[in-house]
Amino acid sequence: MVKQTRRSFVGSAAGAVAGAAAATTLGSAVAGAAPAAGASAAISAQDNRQKITFYHIYGTPPGGTPAASPAPMIQVIDAFNAQSTTTFIDSQTPSTAYAEVLQKAQADIAAGNGPDLVITPWSNLNYADEGLGVVDLNTVGGDDVAAVLDNIRPEAKDIVTRDDRILGLPWGLSTPIFYYNADVFKQAGVDPTTALKTWDDFKAAAPKLKDALGGNPVIAFTYNKDWPAQTLVQCNGGRIVNDDGSFGFTSDEAKAAMQMVADLDKDGLYDRSTSQEMRPNFVAGSTAVMISSVASLKGLRDDCKFTLATAPWPTFGDKPRIASTGGSFIGVYARDESHYPGIWEFFTFCTSEEGYKIWNQTGYINISVHDFPKLDGQEPAYTQFEAGLIPETNWPGARGLEMQTTWATFVERMWANDISVDEGVTEAESELSALMG
Amino acid sequence: MALARNKMDAPPSSDASAPTVLQSRRSWSWYRFSEGITPYLLIAPLLILIAIFIYWPLIYSFYLSFFDWNFVRPDKTFVGWDNFTRLPNDPRFMRALHGTWIYFVALVPIQVFLPLGLAILLWPIRASRAQSAYRIMLFSPTVIAYSVAAVMWLWIFNPLQGILNKLLTGFGVERINWLSDRDTAIWAIIIVATWKTLGFHLLLYMAALEAVPNDYVEAASLDGASNWQIMRSIRFPLITPTFFFVLVTTVISVNDDVFGAINVLTNGGPFESTTNIIYYLYQQGFQYFQIGAASAVAVIVFLATALLTWLQFRFVERHVHYG
Repeated sequence: MVKQTRRSFVGSAAGAVAGAAAATTLGSAVAGAAPAAGASAAISAQDNRQKITFYHIYGTPPGGTPAASPAPMIQVIDAFNAQSTTTFIDSQTPSTAYAEVLQKAQADIAAGNGPDLVITPWSNLNYADEGLGVVDLNTVGGDDVAAVLDNIRPEAKDIVTRDDRILGLPWGLSTPIFYYNADVFKQAGVDPTTALKTWDDFKAAAPKLKDALGGNPVIAFTYNKDWPAQTLVQCNGGRIVNDDGSFGFTSDEAKAAMQMVADLDKDGLYDRSTSQEMRPNFVAGSTAVMISSVASLKGLRDDCKFTLATAPWPTFGDKPRIASTGGSFIGVYARDESHYPGIWEFFTFCTSEEGYKIWNQTGYINISVHDFPKLDGQEPAYTQFEAGLIPETNWPGARGLEMQTTWATFVERMWANDISVDEGVTEAESELSALMG
Repeated sequence: MALARNKMDAPPSSDASAPTVLQSRRSWSWYRFSEGITPYLLIAPLLILIAIFIYWPLIYSFYLSFFDWNFVRPDKTFVGWDNFTRLPNDPRFMRALHGTWIYFVALVPIQVFLPLGLAILLWPIRASRAQSAYRIMLFSPTVIAYSVAAVMWLWIFNPLQGILNKLLTGFGVERINWLSDRDTAIWAIIIVATWKTLGFHLLLYMAALEAVPNDYVEAASLDGASNWQIMRSIRFPLITPTFFFVLVTTVISVNDDVFGAINVLTNGGPFESTTNIIYYLYQQGFQYFQIGAASAVAVIVFLATALLTWLQFRFVERHVHYG
């Protein structure tokens, strides 16, 4: 028997830790994304309906506190489950972030235990198609495709159409809009209809708002910065990625738009907080204007104690306002074809007047052909929608997801004057070109 | 072996007791066999688990580092050394290396010496209830999940409403964007990681100090040694095995330790200033699904960690007193 000395113990323990630390770096991350089924499996065992697993962001993630009233997506699923005799939708919310839901879906697909349906951001359409093998709805719905998709407006259908393939069910169509604290505007003596008309008007009024906020920054751009940057650049006549796939952010129009925010930052008007800090700051009344998705409307209405108002994006002079889309589609990732009839039954319900009416409470733009009254505060989103939205940038190539993050980082740097706009654009072009290969 | 040969060589016996002898020899052989194999059977489940969950992923990571794959595609494309050779040209990898270095230089001394100093400070009050209170206060962050702690730290660091800025601005200091300024964000991460890991190392040092034989201390006291001399010349040398263990494991895990803080507080930002090689690996593997690239980084991390550990055993261990 080998004698265990303190020396050998220290050595072997340290060796074990070294091996484990390096070897399980990848493995532990996979474990972190392990499925948390259980409840749904029990439910499906109670009846003979076919279970369709649906990963989305709209429920309560593991460890989270359930909302007082179920989210509209959960209500849609509950309504469907209550009436279907053949299909049961197993609703799962691994996270409230799109990226994390996709990560879990991908890990589960790799493990052969993937979900049937996943809420997938528009910006990941290329990746869903090339990387994840999203199933064409023509394959899922067969002859019934047109009957169901005729309930969706053509502008939305176009976004998910590649050649003749339909890569998902258009579902949550949003666009970034301006939310503002009307009380702060009033206190500062600033008329929001004038101040939010053009960017020049905003820059003129912003110092007064800053004073009313006690010196705090005035405006916050939430989410990854690439998303609001796209609308900003488009409104000045530029593009992030041109239609031919070349980089558009190097144009003078794009640079001028980026410089405008960098100038706001120089004047202390731009909120440099992290994305997760911006919303609490706005809700607490610490900033006056927040650019966020129209889908945040219901949540902000519930949380803000001040007079919340909305506005479309200011324009650059007389140039047209061209916003981008946001949101997501429902992608089919089922590898088992026997699940397709159940999936189609669910899609049929979702796009029906009954199903879509429930979903329409969220604040997302109504992309169905059904007529529902607009929500109070949604008007700016419809103004932008009717002017024509440009789909959220889908970065090309196998490393498109990395390109998106890289561009978002450069936008953040340029806006916060960590790098000049000229240098930022040049460096971004270089790094993104390398990633595109 | 000798017994068996004798038995085979022996002439057939007509002795009535022969079956009993044979049976007893068989029992003896079975006893020796089972005695030999039992320890291996007992540790086999653990070894199998370690092989499956530690060594197999390690080997498989080496294998995957030569492929382009995204987890889902049925085919893996062999790319040779490409996943390794592209890394020096990847500015994000170089920024991650820079962050890794900063965390290493800042956190290894903090995580090794700060708890040692605290343990020495707490040692004189080891018999009092106050020490238990200190231990609980310092150890409890270790068992709090990062996701929970993040909520607290986000509010502490919030630039407009956070308690830290409220305190500082009360003293006339200008507001600091703790998590969104490249000069402060990495230090915010270091503070949180220190807060999280301090208690565990403190407990190790406290336990080591407790284990120092009192005889040595008493003898030194009788010889007129001061408290500082006793600490320097008796207690510290005798706790060097623990010190060495803490040093080695800290060097190995320091960049793993900050991963949680990076992930929940900054996501590597602002401007990738708080990222490190572990976070880069995570992004490649689980945000961009570049499994080959992530595996190549994992291989590099493994080799670098192994080298650093070997260097410590080669050059530091000679100063350790194993008693």
